[in-house]
Amino acid sequence: MPLSQALHLTSMLLASASFIGLTLGAGLPEWLAVLTGATLIAVLLRNMGLTSVDHITTQMPVSSIGWNLIVLGGFVGFWIDLLWVSGELLPAGLHFLMILMIIKLFNLRLRRDYLHLYAISLVAMLASGSLTTELWFFPIFAVYLVAGVWTLLLFQLTKTAEASGDAWMPAPARLRQESYQGNDRISPRIFWMANGLAFGAFLFTVAIFFTIPRVNAGIYQKGFGENIRTTGFSDKVNLGAIGSIKHDPSVVMRVELLGTPRQAARPLYIRGVSFDRYDGKVWTNQLSYRRSFIEESPGTFGFRGKRGVVRSDSGDAIRQKILLEPLDTPVLFAAPFIERVTGAFPSLFFDPAGAVYLPFPSSSRIEYTVVSRSNTLASADLGTGPGHYPDWVVRHYLQLPGQSHRINALAGDLTQGRHTPYEQAAAIQTYLTQNYRYSLDAPLAAQDQPLEEFLFVRKTGYCEHYATAMVIMLRTVGIPARLVTGFLATEWNDYGSYYVVRQQDAHAWVEVYLPHSGWMSMDPTPAEDNRGSGGKVWQVFGPIMDNIRLQWNRLFVQYSAADQLAVVRELKAEGMSVRNKALDTVTALFGTFLAVMGGIVTHDVSQIRIGLLGEIVGFVLAGFAVLFWLGWGRLREGWSLWKTDDGSELAITQLYRRMRTYLSGQGFSRSAAIAPLELVEITRTGWREAHTAVAAITELYCRTRFGHRPLTQEDVRHAEDQLRRLLELRKPRV
Amino acid sequence: MTSTETIRAIQENIARVIKGKPHVIEMSLVALLARGHLLLEDVPGVGKTTLAHSLARSLDCSFKRIQFTSDLLPSDIVGVSIFNRQKQAFEFIPGPIFANIVLADEINRTTPKTQSSLLEAMSEAQISFDNKTYPLNPPFMVIATQNPAEYHGTFPLPESQLDRFLMRLRIGYPAPEEEKKVLERASSLHPAEELLPLLTASEVVQLQDQVDKVFMEESLTEYLLSIVRSTRQSELLSLGVSTRGALALSRAAKALALVRGRSYCLPDDVKELAPIVLSHRIMVARQAGLHQRSFEQAERIIRDLVDTIPVPV
Repeated sequence: MPLSQALHLTSMLLASASFIGLTLGAGLPEWLAVLTGATLIAVLLRNMGLTSVDHITTQMPVSSIGWNLIVLGGFVGFWIDLLWVSGELLPAGLHFLMILMIIKLFNLRLRRDYLHLYAISLVAMLASGSLTTELWFFPIFAVYLVAGVWTLLLFQLTKTAEASGDAWMPAPARLRQESYQGNDRISPRIFWMANGLAFGAFLFTVAIFFTIPRVNAGIYQKGFGENIRTTGFSDKVNLGAIGSIKHDPSVVMRVELLGTPRQAARPLYIRGVSFDRYDGKVWTNQLSYRRSFIEESPGTFGFRGKRGVVRSDSGDAIRQKILLEPLDTPVLFAAPFIERVTGAFPSLFFDPAGAVYLPFPSSSRIEYTVVSRSNTLASADLGTGPGHYPDWVVRHYLQLPGQSHRINALAGDLTQGRHTPYEQAAAIQTYLTQNYRYSLDAPLAAQDQPLEEFLFVRKTGYCEHYATAMVIMLRTVGIPARLVTGFLATEWNDYGSYYVVRQQDAHAWVEVYLPHSGWMSMDPTPAEDNRGSGGKVWQVFGPIMDNIRLQWNRLFVQYSAADQLAVVRELKAEGMSVRNKALDTVTALFGTFLAVMGGIVTHDVSQIRIGLLGEIVGFVLAGFAVLFWLGWGRLREGWSLWKTDDGSELAITQLYRRMRTYLSGQGFSRSAAIAPLELVEITRTGWREAHTAVAAITELYCRTRFGHRPLTQEDVRHAEDQLRRLLELRKPRV
Repeated sequence: MTSTETIRAIQENIARVIKGKPHVIEMSLVALLARGHLLLEDVPGVGKTTLAHSLARSLDCSFKRIQFTSDLLPSDIVGVSIFNRQKQAFEFIPGPIFANIVLADEINRTTPKTQSSLLEAMSEAQISFDNKTYPLNPPFMVIATQNPAEYHGTFPLPESQLDRFLMRLRIGYPAPEEEKKVLERASSLHPAEELLPLLTASEVVQLQDQVDKVFMEESLTEYLLSIVRSTRQSELLSLGVSTRGALALSRAAKALALVRGRSYCLPDDVKELAPIVLSHRIMVARQAGLHQRSFEQAERIIRDLVDTIPVPV
């Protein structure tokens, strides 16, 4: 492929990558996205040599003044957009940027225009980079990187004038007749060099990623500041509120169980807030005053002293690692009951009912680890021994909204003949589970007596109704109970071994206070109908994609300053023990060798292992060393050219090099040891037609390169003309 | 007249006498402007003496010729002290070395002792005699001629002295038609006698000063040094080029640039001069050739080395 055409192609690719990035990240208006996309395709087709498209795009009845007017119009549009339409600088600026890109795409004539296009692409890419932390950005960025390296390389290779900047650029469709042939094709060497450079840039990016401090949120991310809206986790919840989000499949958190093997298909309750007071329609949390946690060690917060929620002889600890999406509530979710929280929080608070709060709702994803311990049923509660409730439990958890005879009667009937609180609670739970139908179509919130309506009239409802009914009935028979809201995690991701928790998993259940066991969770809600989401394909690929998303968040987006410090610490430790490790490795390898020789293959290879991180860093450094070694000569050369601080020297040297390459392609000056005037002499005797051009270019080159005399614009142009003349010549076959 | 025109005029002037040898004339001017000394090595009778004579005549400079023979003594060159009866003191009578251009004819016919008496004069441009130092008037240039070493009755020049010559040139036989022109000359006068001086001694010094101002780009210096280094590393040579040799090449390149009307050096200057400036400063390794000082062989080795070194672009 001729270089100019390749340059055009990679330029388009560059522009396309940034356009796609911006479209996905910023959500451009549809008409603008379609317009830009269409323009890109049209220009690309023109490059492919479709003359009809060429005809349309080059014969556009717009003069250069016309284009200027269009740019002005775009600018006015930008102000209108800024002031009235989007009302914000960033979206308006991005829209204007896309308009500029479209205009540039139609006007790719001079090399200058290409540079403008690259600048626009870069800005667009930077914008989309800061607009998102999503996974899709990664492949687009990779494409942009490779295209960028290619483009710059080709731009350099096709360069005929540095100083003037507006050198002539062949129209893409006419490239086939172009004289830029000869050596100017993409050779394997150039191909590998370009890809090597792209790889080097990638290594560089990786190094930067691991060393530069960062925030783990896309600052201008779409919907930034608009956290996922939840219900049921404030101090006050209307009965039926959770029903409104039961259709929302957005993910609110992912929960990984650490240490404990997951019991198959067992749902996990994730506790949010509990409520103690019900007024017939609204649940409120009277115990909402918050106290701050004690920070046991940096980042670890634990309950200490009197806790009131967990007994000392309670059940097994559950360790969970939770990645919480930005929610509009400060509640920190975890399995009941929280013992210790570890995470990058400035401070944490809890209320007496066991809910844990952040200081304020997080606007980015947060990851934390929780150790929870639920209560187990004490055998004493199964016996008939009289129960005794603490004062604070009696004070708060026996409140009733007002006497209802029907509910009293029902509760009395259900607990008839049951003597222990546990038996009574179980009876009520069984009754609710078996006699009521689960349905989300119960618009009960607006009614006067929603609970009675549920229990006696409709007999259908969802978790909140069940849980409220159970709490009220328990309280009626004198058993302290409270309503708990949170999530019921049922969706298990096998690929990543974690629970996916969605909005629709929001749930309400009951906590009963048993005299000997303490607070026990009970759920009167019957199992829901299977909710199928998406088609078969999604059921296969959905979990995989979700897992990739989790790992992306964990490994890249969540990568924080603390992790960087860890890297540094590890490197330090590695450095100190590097000698020992090397010795160990040698010994181990040698030992393995000996072992194999002796026929014993049971050598502990794990000793050879050096930290993965160390290996990554080592590879990056080695990559740099190789690149440095490869590029040093060129760097120095480039430097010696640049330091004269004169573009004309660089330009004429480029021209001279091209001339030499061309001549050596034609069979002259194959040796690098041929001096400039010698070459002139060689062409004088060997190729008379080329002599004038070679002499003219060489003269200007010598004067500037070795005499450091700056050239004028005319000189450079003259040299360009001569070179073009030379490139059109063909050496006569001898 | 600009310096370029002046130099061209001198070249043309000498060319009227030395027919068909513009390159040799140019190089001898380079040697003069680079404040160097010239060693002409060739068979007898190809115009070595005439070249030196013509150069001296073209400049308004004093010219002395010393015919080196096997019985020549150092005092025949430097001068002698004679007791002056009237002044009751020894008086220094300057020898023929006290001139601007000294032609040391057939320098390898005399003994090494006499040859080395030229040494101080050539490198320091002064003469020490009887604990006294006598400076030589600038410009000072020694043009030595010698017969190729393999001829009978010669004493090869010591290495140290060879190193002090800026360049070694061969004149070679003229082309047939040029030779014919030489024969057709009717005058009975020595041809050099007809030449008119074009430059005064002080003007020559001025030109020599201009050489110092010629610009040599950094990459070109590196190119030059890599040539020099390659002679030190070459397997074909047992002795490479000294730092003085590198300095000489640099100076000569600058002078050549000036002679060709440039104020800056080109790779061509260095490349072209390398064989004639460096070839007498090296020793060809024993296994590489029969004659250790063979002129052609040394030049060819230098030329081959230069052809392997990439020119800065």
